[in-house]
Amino acid sequence: MRSRRDVLTDAKHGVIDDQIGRTRRSFITVGLAATGGLLIAMRYQPVAAFPTDYIQIDPDDRVLIWSAQPEMGEGTRTSLPMLVAEELDAEWTKVRIDDAPLDRKYGGQGVGGSDAIRSDWDALRRIGATARACLIGAAAAQWNVPASECDTSAHVVRHPASGREARYGSLAARAATLSVPRDVPLKDPSRYRLIGTRVDGTDNHKVVTGQPLFGIDVRLPSMKFAAVAKCPVFNGKPVKIDATKARQVPGVRQIVEIAGLDNPTLLMPGVAVVADSTWAAFKGRDALIVQWDEGPYAAESNASLTEQFEKILAAPPATLHNSGRVDDALAAAAIVVDNTYSFPFASHATLEPCNCTADYRNGELWIRGPIQMPMSAQTTVARATGVDVGKVHVQATRIGGGFGRRLLSDYAAEAAVVAKAIGGPVMVIDNREGDLQHDYYRPAAMQRLRAGVDAGGTIIAWDHIIASCSRNVYRKDPRGPYSTETYGSYVGRVQSVEQLDADLQPTRIPNARLRYGNPLTGVATGAWRAPAHVVNAFTIETTIDELAARAKRSPVDLRLEILGETADVPKSQNDASPYDPARMRRVLLEVVERGGFGKSAPEGRARGLASHHTFGSYCAHVVEISIAPGTNGQKRVTIHKVVSVADVGQPVNLSMLEAQMQGGIIDGIGAAFYGEVPIERGRATSRNFGDYRLIRMREAPLAIDAHFIQSRLRPTGFGEPPLPPIAPAVANAIAALTGERIRMMPFIKLGYLLS
Amino acid sequence: MPLISLTVNNRAVQLDLDPETPLLWALRDHLNLVGTKFGCGGGFCGACTVHLDGVATRACSTPVGKIAGRRITTIEGLSANGDHPAQRAWAQIDVPQCGYCQAGQIMSCAALLARTPNPSENEIVAAMNGNICRCGTYVRIKDAVTLAASMRSSR
Repeated sequence: MRSRRDVLTDAKHGVIDDQIGRTRRSFITVGLAATGGLLIAMRYQPVAAFPTDYIQIDPDDRVLIWSAQPEMGEGTRTSLPMLVAEELDAEWTKVRIDDAPLDRKYGGQGVGGSDAIRSDWDALRRIGATARACLIGAAAAQWNVPASECDTSAHVVRHPASGREARYGSLAARAATLSVPRDVPLKDPSRYRLIGTRVDGTDNHKVVTGQPLFGIDVRLPSMKFAAVAKCPVFNGKPVKIDATKARQVPGVRQIVEIAGLDNPTLLMPGVAVVADSTWAAFKGRDALIVQWDEGPYAAESNASLTEQFEKILAAPPATLHNSGRVDDALAAAAIVVDNTYSFPFASHATLEPCNCTADYRNGELWIRGPIQMPMSAQTTVARATGVDVGKVHVQATRIGGGFGRRLLSDYAAEAAVVAKAIGGPVMVIDNREGDLQHDYYRPAAMQRLRAGVDAGGTIIAWDHIIASCSRNVYRKDPRGPYSTETYGSYVGRVQSVEQLDADLQPTRIPNARLRYGNPLTGVATGAWRAPAHVVNAFTIETTIDELAARAKRSPVDLRLEILGETADVPKSQNDASPYDPARMRRVLLEVVERGGFGKSAPEGRARGLASHHTFGSYCAHVVEISIAPGTNGQKRVTIHKVVSVADVGQPVNLSMLEAQMQGGIIDGIGAAFYGEVPIERGRATSRNFGDYRLIRMREAPLAIDAHFIQSRLRPTGFGEPPLPPIAPAVANAIAALTGERIRMMPFIKLGYLLS
Repeated sequence: MPLISLTVNNRAVQLDLDPETPLLWALRDHLNLVGTKFGCGGGFCGACTVHLDGVATRACSTPVGKIAGRRITTIEGLSANGDHPAQRAWAQIDVPQCGYCQAGQIMSCAALLARTPNPSENEIVAAMNGNICRCGTYVRIKDAVTLAASMRSSR
């Protein structure tokens, strides 16, 4: 997990990634809404000149809540307003949600690292509670009774002693004239009526009726459509452009060269073809003849990367942690496993391809699109165009899938550059081929893990080497190359990069070493859902399973032994939900019980277990599989059932949590079996979903049984935590059934398919 | 170029377009019906699924010149009030995550139910397997198709 400090450091270095720190010095104000109702606002210091519109309560009882965070399927537009409505004691059926534009008055917009609920939990509940107190104050004044004698439920203020009651709407105008109570207490969780229940997505009706919601649906009068040609080789740039044929394509209007910025995560160079329609823009781009300077990485390939990885594994340049005497312990161990793992580049493959619309009028830029990080989109656009940040206006639409891709805002910068060049509105859009070939991929990696148990079967030695493309290096971040590739994933399952060394202490493995190295590469890399965790958890969790099997011990016991104790874990000051091994222990034990792990599976089937801690949440899966022979010696894996347990603190929206569990499991399985972007001649060779294969309905688990620990602890996010443990759970089940240990992704390269 | 006549959502339209233009872009860029989504452009993902004379069809791989005179139904025209059983079932089961693929999923489901009112699980999977959901909502989609079938039969 990354701390707020990391994020601020990112901002200082102009590196736009992960979450944005949110200002939380604020106070609440009220005012009269244009409708005659009550407007609850939050004023942030020191930047805001205007109150923030957060809630409006109308005389007819309707409540409008502005949602300031982007929605990409993780449910923010439902679960965040739920926090407000809960404390307001509003009736959910009378609540309407509207999008807030990017505005500093909202104190920080953008979500990442599964942090939406985690970051807004306090502020949104507080504003809801304050609004409720304002309404109580208005009723108390009207009835001339003490506010302390009044209570609320379901949109009504009551004074039980006199039996009087008033609807919220009838109190709104009066509440707007009263002073705002400070330090309003929050609800006791035992009184929650919304939080912890199943609430359907706010926009479900709009989604199922095909209403325009997404970036790709934005339409402006007389807008153009543009597609950008980029050098097929990473880090290349255009040298000579022959647009003669492109201009002959009917509907093509203009060619715009994009210079790119020195940091390719902000904007890559390219050539935009501007046309009257998307189809004409694509055809025009196909007709461009560009001579490229392919740059220094034109010979790069899977093979050349593997060669570099192997050299790093043989002589790792950086030792990140070293405790005890690892070499001696390995020599003394009764059983040693020595495994090498490999992981390919993987694409985000958001189903909505990258696109963004920009309009340039009177020196100002209006950006509207599937933007996950509105604040960094604004600064990136300003840098790319030279337009002052204050003149860049950003509105995020619903996002057709993120998975990490839209932490970057390169596509917004492209749209802005083209809009400024043509002096009008344009949507820049990529097709699937372009989107796959110019993604910022999950870094490829090779790892070696040697681990040993003593004669009693206790893990005494652990020697892990990670050789991985570093997305920190790719984005020109001056911090250590390792920091994006190791964080929070390690055996200690703990939090921050800076504390890596300390974080490894609480594990019960007395002799442990972690070393790291990164290859020289031009391949574009970025955060991919549960970055680093997905690959590192695979190595760690399959190795523990293998050690247990070799030592004839229960893999549950082996995991429990190295969890450590709560008291041993150093607490990070800026983390409100520090890692607690006791919570992981409970999740493990419950999933073992519910999933029947360790008990005999039905004939021809086997079970596998894995667990992991990511972004403050704890998750473990037990999968049950069978394997049937396929053609050409292939092995067809059926996943009959996944039983999952997670501890996310106080669950907020159970429907959304269950959906993330299902989706995370399915995404994690699909990526493990199929996800690979091969590199040849310096370029990505994936073309479309024919060769970059995504998991389909037939291949998904037949049943997913998701359980969430009942908890009153501060909630943590769940967009990513289901992923890291699912692939190792499947691999461990395959090993239990066949004896074959899987040590690479994608599994299909070993002949394993889903059926 | 001659005008191409189509019936889209029960409305007669005429398109002055290159006949090679995929139906998807005719719908989105020329008829302003953006409910039909662009996912892959190659018929792999099903995000662009519409009904062509009632049959589920990939609009991204269907040149408008090849379908002159035919009837097209998009998600916007599936029902008058957004109350087709598939649409109601999708909302009730809370299927959408990002939601981008769901119009195509619903169109595939509606075409399935029109010809197979009570599909078996195998029939559901066979009909829906061509529609990719990147968020992995398959478990709920399966439930929603079953619910939609029961809604239809109880009408």
